Amino acid sequence: MDIQLKRGLLDVCVLAAIKNEDSYGYKIIKDMKPYIELSESTLYTILKRLEQQEMLTVKSAEHDGRLRKYYHITGTGLKRIRDFREEWKEIMAIYQFVTKEDEHHE
Amino acid sequence: MNKQEFLSLLRQELSGLPEEDIEERVAFYEEMIDDRMEEGVTEVEAVRAVGPVREIVSQIVSETPITKLVKERIRPKRQLQAWEIVLLVLGFPLWFPLLIAAFAVLLSVYIVIWSVILSLWAADVSLAASSIGCVVAAVVVLCRGEAASGLLMIGAAAVLAGLSIFLFFGCREATRGAAVLTKKIALGIKSMFLRKEEAK
Repeated sequence: MDIQLKRGLLDVCVLAAIKNEDSYGYKIIKDMKPYIELSESTLYTILKRLEQQEMLTVKSAEHDGRLRKYYHITGTGLKRIRDFREEWKEIMAIYQFVTKEDEHHE
Repeated sequence: MNKQEFLSLLRQELSGLPEEDIEERVAFYEEMIDDRMEEGVTEVEAVRAVGPVREIVSQIVSETPITKLVKERIRPKRQLQAWEIVLLVLGFPLWFPLLIAAFAVLLSVYIVIWSVILSLWAADVSLAASSIGCVVAAVVVLCRGEAASGLLMIGAAAVLAGLSIFLFFGCREATRGAAVLTKKIALGIKSMFLRKEEAK
């Protein structure tokens, strides 16, 4: 898949994983696993980028005698998800057009 | 490999990065391993699941902008000794011209490539201009009633016009080629820095 496209999709996936409640690194990976396999390093980069874009905030909380980082979605992050759903309608329309052309030729 | 071995190896391999970046990365992987162990996975398995250090490091390097790598590499890790500063200052007449020379060589390569392109276009334009000149001259000569030379000039104009159109396509291709070439040179220089960093 095109790198730019995949990167954008993964950003939205991670935002969706923290949409309903704050989550932490390992839980995000586990929640996404049935849909998309994500390595720790890739997740780190995505979280860092989303934090810089102010789509999420990070806070450390104690858990079982150690610190764990929890990620919380912001208004900007929620807007990104809404925008994605709108954009995707356009992409689906393009997809239908492209596959229709295929049928026509075969 | 247990957790401590993994984390200290990671820390060591990332030593080319700024200190706070290293700490943040290491804490992130530590949390990942702890969370897996909390689920009942053994320490060794949890470390294995996070992936080999070599793979993690190469991904981090490829994602880090070259400017950051170079800056971190140039920045001295400790206070410069007095004799080192003296050496740098005394060496200035030597290393500064060398630096300038390197840039000058690079610049001249670009200039050479683009002046070839420029001269090609200049030749094309002059062919087109002389073709127009021939037409004008032909009209003047024909008006004077010298049919033979008029005809000759019209012929010359046609030949020149044809040549200039032919050369136009050549020029266009050459320009494209030069653009690709200069882009490749720039990319090559950048990856030279990156490769050096990776080999470390």
